[in-house]
Amino acid sequence: MPSPRFPIPQGTLDMLILQILSLKAAHGYGIAQRLEQISRSVVRVNEGSLYPALHRLQQKGWLRGEWKQSETGREAKFYSLTPAGRRQLAVEKDSWARLSGAVNLIFEEGSR
Amino acid sequence: MTQLFNWFRRRSLERGLDRELQYHFDRRVADLAAAGIPEPEARRRVAVELGLAQVREEVRDLWLTRWLRDLLYDLRFSARSFLRSPGFTATTLLSLALGIGATTAIYSLVDQVILHALPVREPERLVLVDWNGDDLITGAFGSFNLMPYPICRDLQQQTRFLDGVLCRAEIQVNLTAGGDPRPVAAEIVSGTYFPVLGVGPALGRVIEPEDDASPGAGPVVVLSYDFWQAQFGGAADIVGRKVLIGNHPMTVIGVAAAGFRGVDVGAVPAFWIPTSMYADANLATNEDLLNSPTRWLQILARLRPDVTPAQAQAGLQPWFKAWLQDSMLRPGFPMISADRRRDYLASTLEITSAPQGHSPLRRSLSQPLWLLFAATGVLLGLACLNVAGLFLARGSARGREIGTRLALGASRGRIGRQLLADSLLLAAAGGVLGIALAPPAMRALIVFLPRDLAANALRPSLSLDLLGFALATSLAAGLLSGLAPALHAGRDNIVNSLRERGGAGFGGVRLRKTIVTLQVAFSLILLIGAALFLRTLTGLLAKGPGFDTSSLLSFAIAPLQNGYSRADASRLVRRLDEQIRALPAARSSAAARFAFLDGGAWSNKVTIQTDRRTVSDRAVNFNAVSPGFFATLGVRVLAGRDFDQSDSRPPGETGPRCAIVNQAFVKRYLAGRDPLGVRIARGGGGTDVKPNSPIVGVVADMSYRGLRDNSEQVFFPLFEGEDAGATFYVKLRGAPEQAIPSIRRLVRQDDPRLPILWFRTLDDQVNRSLNTERMLAALSGSFGALALLLSLIGLYGVMSFVVTRRTREIGIRLALGATRASALRLVLRDAVAMIAVGIATALPCVAALGKLVQSQLFGVTATDPATVATAALILAAGALAAAFIPAWRASNVNPTDALRLE
Repeated sequence: MPSPRFPIPQGTLDMLILQILSLKAAHGYGIAQRLEQISRSVVRVNEGSLYPALHRLQQKGWLRGEWKQSETGREAKFYSLTPAGRRQLAVEKDSWARLSGAVNLIFEEGSR
Repeated sequence: MTQLFNWFRRRSLERGLDRELQYHFDRRVADLAAAGIPEPEARRRVAVELGLAQVREEVRDLWLTRWLRDLLYDLRFSARSFLRSPGFTATTLLSLALGIGATTAIYSLVDQVILHALPVREPERLVLVDWNGDDLITGAFGSFNLMPYPICRDLQQQTRFLDGVLCRAEIQVNLTAGGDPRPVAAEIVSGTYFPVLGVGPALGRVIEPEDDASPGAGPVVVLSYDFWQAQFGGAADIVGRKVLIGNHPMTVIGVAAAGFRGVDVGAVPAFWIPTSMYADANLATNEDLLNSPTRWLQILARLRPDVTPAQAQAGLQPWFKAWLQDSMLRPGFPMISADRRRDYLASTLEITSAPQGHSPLRRSLSQPLWLLFAATGVLLGLACLNVAGLFLARGSARGREIGTRLALGASRGRIGRQLLADSLLLAAAGGVLGIALAPPAMRALIVFLPRDLAANALRPSLSLDLLGFALATSLAAGLLSGLAPALHAGRDNIVNSLRERGGAGFGGVRLRKTIVTLQVAFSLILLIGAALFLRTLTGLLAKGPGFDTSSLLSFAIAPLQNGYSRADASRLVRRLDEQIRALPAARSSAAARFAFLDGGAWSNKVTIQTDRRTVSDRAVNFNAVSPGFFATLGVRVLAGRDFDQSDSRPPGETGPRCAIVNQAFVKRYLAGRDPLGVRIARGGGGTDVKPNSPIVGVVADMSYRGLRDNSEQVFFPLFEGEDAGATFYVKLRGAPEQAIPSIRRLVRQDDPRLPILWFRTLDDQVNRSLNTERMLAALSGSFGALALLLSLIGLYGVMSFVVTRRTREIGIRLALGATRASALRLVLRDAVAMIAVGIATALPCVAALGKLVQSQLFGVTATDPATVATAALILAAGALAAAFIPAWRASNVNPTDALRLE
C-alpha cells in the first residue's frame, strides 16, 4: 500500500525522537502518533523502524526507559531524555541548521 | 561489555520488548477499530505495518552483535554435543591439557631463569659492562664478567652515556644474629647499587653512596625482604640491631623492597653490605680491592634514555683506552712483558643489554631450557594434530547431521564456524585443565634443577604473564586443531553425504593421513632427542669422575669467614687434617683447597720452562692438595711420586715447592718428553712469573668442574704457605651417618663457633653434577614416550577408519579369491607408506636440529647413526603394531557379511 507522504530522510528519525521526548516523556505508540501530528502528516514514519531506533538510542545512553501506567491504565514503557540525550539533541539541531542553511544557499544561488 | 551482559539477561530483555510491542499493537488495533475498521481487518493491517518479526530481529541485533550472538549460540551447542560424547571429550581434553600444561610449566622456568626482567626501575636500560681482551694479566677471583673496582668508580663520570654505574660481587659469609654463626650467601655492592637500580627500602633505608665513600666507611647491612621474614619473623624493630658478619659487628639499617632478590637469578643474597667493607667480607685476598687492578666484581650500568648499548660501547672506547694506559701506572699493577702489555692495551669494553641482570647460571641453563621448551612445543603440536584427527573422525560421524544442515540452507562458512567453536571451546577447557596441571609439573621440574637455585630463586606459582601465555597457547592450539576440520567441512557433496549410511560419510582420508604422517615425523624427532640425552646420561655415569666415589665423604670449612687470620686458618686445617686421619671411622683422609665437581675451578695460564720458556695456550685448572690425596680418592700416580710432608711450607712462607700434573697436561704440553723435573709456574707471560716448581709426579685424569671436564690440571702441595679454607675428603670404613657425628665433634672441639659448610658423599655429588643431564634425559624421555603414544593412537584411528571404509571392497576381493595375506598387505601398505614418509620427513629435521643440541651431548654425536636407527626402528615397530590390529580385522572379514553391509 504505497503512501502519498514521502518517507522520512535517513538519519533524521533519531533527531525527531529526541526532539519529541525533549518536551515530554512518552511511550512508543505515543511517539508514533506525535511524529505524525507534528509533521502534519507529511512525513511517513515506518512503525517498524521506530522500535529499533528507540532501543538504539537507549543503548547509547541518550534515552532511559521506565514502565509506568499509561493513559489507558495499562503499563507501558515510557521513554525520556537523559542529560546526554539533551546534549545530543542540541548538537543535532545545530548541525541540521547548518546543513539546511547551506543547502538553501546553494539552491538560491542556482535559481538566481 | 554491555553486549556480553545483555547475553545473560536476554530473557528479560525479550519479555520487555514483547510487552512493549504488544502495547503498541493493542493500542493501534483499538484506534483503528474506533475509526470503524472491523477488528480482524485492523489486526491484519497493524501486523503488516509493524512487521513484528523483523522488528524483533533488528532490536536483538542491537542488544548483541550478530556474530557474537551466533558465536555464543555455537558455543552452547558445542558444549551440549561434547557432553553427549564424554569419551571423545575426555581424550581430546587430556591431550590438550597435557600439551598445554607441559608447555606452560617449561615456559615458566624459561621465563623465570632467562626472560624475566629484574623488578627494578626501567630494567630495559640496564647494561652489563664487560672486559673484552686479555683478562689473565691482573688476576681475578669469582666467575664471569669480572671487572676491577676502579673502573666502576671512574665510569661514574661518563655521564654522556650512562645514568649511573654499579658493581657487585657474590660473597659467602658467616652471619651471627643471636645463636650460632651460619654460612649465608650475600652480595657486596657499591653505594650506587640501590639508587641506580631504583630499588627502595621496605623498612629503614638502603645502602647509599656515603656508606661506600672510603674503606670501612659503612659497617651496615641491608636485609632482603625474604630473609627478614624467614630469619627475623619480619620483626618491626630490626633496624638498628647489631649482627656479626664473620666476627665484625655491623648494623642493620633497613630491609630492601619485597620481591627484589638481587641481580643474579642463580645467587639470591640474604643481605647486602657496601664494598667499603670488603676487608670484613673475607674475600680470598689481602689486597686493597678498592684500588688494585684485581678483577672481582660485575659492573652493571644504566644507559641514558636515548643511548643504545652499541652507541655507549663505541663512545666509551677512547675513555677506556686512556683508563688502561693510566691503570698500568697505578700501584699494584704486575710487571709484564712488552707483548703482554700490547695485549692488555688492546682490551676493549663490551656493553650488552642486561635487563635480566647478570647470571652465570642463565648461561648454563638457558640452552637446556630452550631445548625442553622446543620439545614441549613439538609435543603440543602433536597433541593438536591428534585432536584435529579426532575432530575429523567426529566430523565423519556427524556427516549426516552436517549434510542435513547444509541441505536446509546453512552456509558452509556457518558450519565451519560451528566446528571452529567446537575446537575453541575444547581448547579453552583444555587450557584451564593445563593451567591446573602446570604448578605440580613445575614442582616436579624444579627438583631436577640445581638445588641452590631451586630453593631460592624459582617459584612453582602462576603469574599473570604465565596465565596469558597459557591462554594464548590454548587459543593457538584450538585454532590449529580446529582449522583443518573446519575448512574441510562441507567440502563433500551434500547429496552424497545424505545418501551414505551413518558413520562412513565425510572422508577427509587424505587429510587424516597427512596428519598421521606429521605425527610420526614429530614423534621420531622427540624419540631421537630422548635417545641422545639418555645416551649422554648413561655415558657420563659410566665414565664417572675418574676416581672411586664409594664410601667417600667430603665436607668443607671456611675459617676466614669466621675471622681467622690466614696463618691461624692454615694451622687449623693442618690440625684437622691430622686429627681426622686418626679417627677410627676414617680409612684415609686428605684435604684440597677447592672442592671438586662443584662447577667452579681455580685456573690460570701456566708458564712451562723446558729448554725454552712456553706459556699454555689456555687456562689450566689448579688445585692444592694435601699428601695422600690421590691415594684417598684412588687416583693412580702414573709416574713420579705423591706429595709428602716435606713439600709443605710452614705458615709464613709462601710459594709452591713442587707440582703434580695430570695426564692431559702432559699430553698437551709435554708430549714426548719426560715431564718429571720440568719447572712450571702459575700465571703466564709476565716477567715476574718465575717457573721454579719442579713437576714431581703425573696422575691419571680426574674430573674437576664436572663429569664432562677432562681438562689439563696442575696440583700444588696444600700447605704451600698460608693456605686457608679447605674441603676434606674422607674415605670411610662404615656408613657416612656414623662418621659425620665424630667429625662434627672434632671440629667443634677445636672451635665451637666454626660451622661446617656441608657434608656430601661423593656419590651424591656426582649425582648433583648431573642435574641438567638427568633433567634432559628424564623429560625428553617422557616427552618421547608421550609423543609415541599420541602418534600411535592417531595411526590406529586412521587405519581403523580406512578399514571400515574399505570393508566392502576387501569383502569383494576375498569373495573373488584373494588370500587373507594379500588383504592384510593391502591395508598395511597404506600404513607403511605413512610411516616411511614420516620418517623421511623427520631425518633432515634431526640433522638440522643436531647442531643445536650437540653441546649438551657427551660421547655421542647428534646424528649418531646407531641412535637414529634405533629410534626409527622403535617407532616403526610400534606404528606397524598399531596398524596391524585394524589390518588383521580387515583380513578376517567374512565376505558375505561385508557384502551384506551395503
